[in-house]
Amino acid sequence: MSEYIIELKDIVKSYDGETNVVENINLQIKKGEFVTFLGPSGCGKTTTLRMIAGFETPSCGQILLDGKDISALPPNKRPINTVFQRYALFPHLNVEDNIAFGLKLNKLPKDEIKKKVSHVLEVVDLEGFEKRKISTLSGGQQQRIAIARAIVNEPEVLLLDEPLGALDLKMRKEMQLELKNMHEQLGITFIYVTHDQEEALTMSDKIVVIADGVIQQVGTPEDIYNEPSNAFVADFIGESNIYNGKMTGNKKVTFLGHEFDCLDDYTLGKKVDVVVRPEDIIITTPDEGQIKGVVESVIFKGMHYEIIVDHEESEIVIQTTKFYPKGQKIGMNIGPDEIHVMIPEVASNVFEGVITKNNTVEFADGEYECDVTMLYPGSHLDDKGYLITQENEKIDLTDVEVKVEVEIRDVTMSDDEDEGGTCGNIIDLIYIGDHYRYTVRTKNEEDFVVDDKDLWNENDYVSLVIPKEKIKLTLKEGGE
Amino acid sequence: MKHNSFFRRYLGIPYIIYLVLFVVMPLFVLIYYAFTGRDGSFTVKNFIGFFTQSNTLGTLFYSVVLAFTTTVVCLLVAYPVAYILATSSLKKKSVILMAFVMPMWINFTLRITALKEILTLIEHNLAFHPFINSVIGMTYDFLPFMIMPIYNVIMGIDKSLTEAAGDLGASTLQSFTKVVLPLSVPGIISGVTMVFLPSMTNYVVLDMLYNSTYIMGSLIGSYFSAYDWHNGSMISIVLLVIILLMTALTGKKDGKGDGKKKEAYV
Repeated sequence: MSEYIIELKDIVKSYDGETNVVENINLQIKKGEFVTFLGPSGCGKTTTLRMIAGFETPSCGQILLDGKDISALPPNKRPINTVFQRYALFPHLNVEDNIAFGLKLNKLPKDEIKKKVSHVLEVVDLEGFEKRKISTLSGGQQQRIAIARAIVNEPEVLLLDEPLGALDLKMRKEMQLELKNMHEQLGITFIYVTHDQEEALTMSDKIVVIADGVIQQVGTPEDIYNEPSNAFVADFIGESNIYNGKMTGNKKVTFLGHEFDCLDDYTLGKKVDVVVRPEDIIITTPDEGQIKGVVESVIFKGMHYEIIVDHEESEIVIQTTKFYPKGQKIGMNIGPDEIHVMIPEVASNVFEGVITKNNTVEFADGEYECDVTMLYPGSHLDDKGYLITQENEKIDLTDVEVKVEVEIRDVTMSDDEDEGGTCGNIIDLIYIGDHYRYTVRTKNEEDFVVDDKDLWNENDYVSLVIPKEKIKLTLKEGGE
Repeated sequence: MKHNSFFRRYLGIPYIIYLVLFVVMPLFVLIYYAFTGRDGSFTVKNFIGFFTQSNTLGTLFYSVVLAFTTTVVCLLVAYPVAYILATSSLKKKSVILMAFVMPMWINFTLRITALKEILTLIEHNLAFHPFINSVIGMTYDFLPFMIMPIYNVIMGIDKSLTEAAGDLGASTLQSFTKVVLPLSVPGIISGVTMVFLPSMTNYVVLDMLYNSTYIMGSLIGSYFSAYDWHNGSMISIVLLVIILLMTALTGKKDGKGDGKKKEAYV
C-alpha cells in the first residue's frame, strides 16, 4: 500500500514525437483528496487526465495506482471512472440501463443492480428517473446521470473532465456545491479538470496549475491565490497587478518608483516580478500614501468598484467598496504581506546558434546579423570575412556553435514578416504595470520573451527584430 | 414578398406536370390494367391468380430468397469494411472508401460482363450455379449502397461513447456489441432497404449471368412481351404493395432507435 492513491512519475506525452503536449509531470495525489487540474485550454490538463483514465498511454513515465504501475492497463481494467465533458451517455439506453452499464458487465445480481441504481439516483437527486430516455433530459439532468453512472461502480478515483462546462452559470454554481458535498459523502478521490479558476478555488483541496504541459504550481487554493509561484499563476488566478521591480535592500523592493517593505529576501539588485492583488491596495489621501495617482476609470462590479489608477507610466487596478470619482488624486498604501515578490523565470533569451559563412548567426529558426568579433576580444575581420585575432591568428568561423543571449528589452516585434530574422506566434501575454510581456514561439518551439508597450493579440504572427549590437555571442564551452 | 411567392408557385409547375405525367397517370393505368380482363371489364381474377398460381408464388419466393441472401452477404461484407474504415485513424480513409464506391461509376454492363468472364473462367459453365452467380453479381453491384450508410452512421457515433463503455469496464468486444452495434442499426436498416428492394426486382444482372429461373422482374417482362398487360400489371401492383409495407415497417423501426439520429444516405 502506498501513501498516495495516484502517482505520476516523469510523465511525458507527445503525439508526433516532436512536440510534447505534457512535459515531465510529477504529481502525488492522496486518497480522498479533491484535486483540480487548472490551466488554459490546450495546456495538457485533459491529456493528463486521459492518461490516468487509460485513454492515452504516456510516451514516457509511469502512472502508479496504490503503488502499482498501471500505465499499460486498458481503461476497462482500471478501478477508475470518468465523467466526460459532453456526458457521453448512451443514447440507445434509458437512464437505468445507462447507470447499470458497468454493474451489468460485472455480472451483479439483478435486484442488487436495481437497488444500487435507485440509491445512486437519490444521491444525484433524480429519484424515479429510471425509465426516462436520455434525449428527454435537460443538460443538468444528463450531467447528474453521467455522474451517477460513474459513481455507481464505486471507483477508487473519479475523474471529471470539465463536467460543468456546458451548463449555464446558475446551474454550474449549484452543481459545484453538490459535487463538493458528493465528494465529502463518498470519500472517493476526485480529480477534476477545469479552466475556470473560480471553480477550482471553490471546490478543491489541492490545485495543480498547468501551463504549456508543465506544472506551474501545486498547492491549496489559499496558497495558489496568496502566494503564486510565478507571474503566470498570479495572472491566471484572479485579478492581479504585476510589476517589474528590483531588490534595493534587506527585505526591500522598489517598484512603481517607491521602495516598499516586503517579506521576501533576495540578493540586492536582483530583478524581480512583483504581484499585488487589487483588493490589497489601500486608498488614502495623497499625502499619506506611499505612492500617488489619479483615478482614470471607475467600474461598478456589484460587490465592489474596480478603479484604475494612473501612476506615472503604470496602471494600478484597485478593488474598493468606496466610490472615487474619475480624476480624483489619491494616495495608495501596500502592506508588506500583500507584496509578493517572485524571481522571473526568464531573465533573458538564451539560444544555441551557429555562425554561418556570411558571419551571421542562425538561431531559433532564423538568421541574424551579428558582431562576431565579440567572440575573441580584440579581434577584427579581414576583407575576405575571416576573423583575425589579437595574436594575428586567422579563424574561419563557419559552423562554429555559439551561445546567443538577447536581453528581453532588446527584442521588438514587427508585423512585417521580413523585418526580423525569425517569426513566431504570440502564445502568451501578461500585463505588467506599464507594458505587456509576450511569449513568442517560433515554428520549432523556441520561445522568445519580449516586452512591448503596445497590445498585440494572442496568436498574432510577428517577426522578431534584434539590433546587431544587442546580440551577445559567446563560444560554446568545449567547442572551438 | 408577395411577388416572390407568386413566382415560386410558377416554378413548381414543371414538377407538377412531371409528377402527373410520369407518376400519377402511369399508376392509374397500372391499376386499371391490373383490375380488368382482356375484354376491358372489371375483374379480380388477376389478383386471385397471383396467389393461386404456383408459377407466380414460386417466383416470388425465389426472388425473396435471392434478395435476402444478397442482402445478408452484402451486410456481412460491408459492415466490417465500414466499421474498420470509420474507426481507423488513417488519414486517407476517404480514398479507400472511394475505392469501394468507384465501381459504381464504371458502366454497369461492362462491369457485369467482366464479372461474367471471370465466373466463366472459374466455373466453365455459368448455368450450373445460377443462384450463387446471381448473389455474387448483385452483391458486387449493390455493395456500395450498404457500405455508405453504415459508414456514415458509425462515423457519427461520438468517440467518447466507446471510451465511456471502456471506462465502465467493457472490453473492446463488449463496447462494440453493447454500444457501436446498437447505435449503427439505423445505418444497417438504410443499407438493407437500399439493397433488398432493388435485389427483389432486379432483372438485368440475372439475365446477363444466365440465371434461367424466373424472378419477379423477368416474370413481369414475359407477361408484357406476351401482350398480357393485365397479369403483368397485377404482379407489379402486388410487388409495389409488398415494398411499401416493408419500407413502412423498416422506417418505423428506424425512428425507434433514437429521435435525433438521422440515417445518412449516399
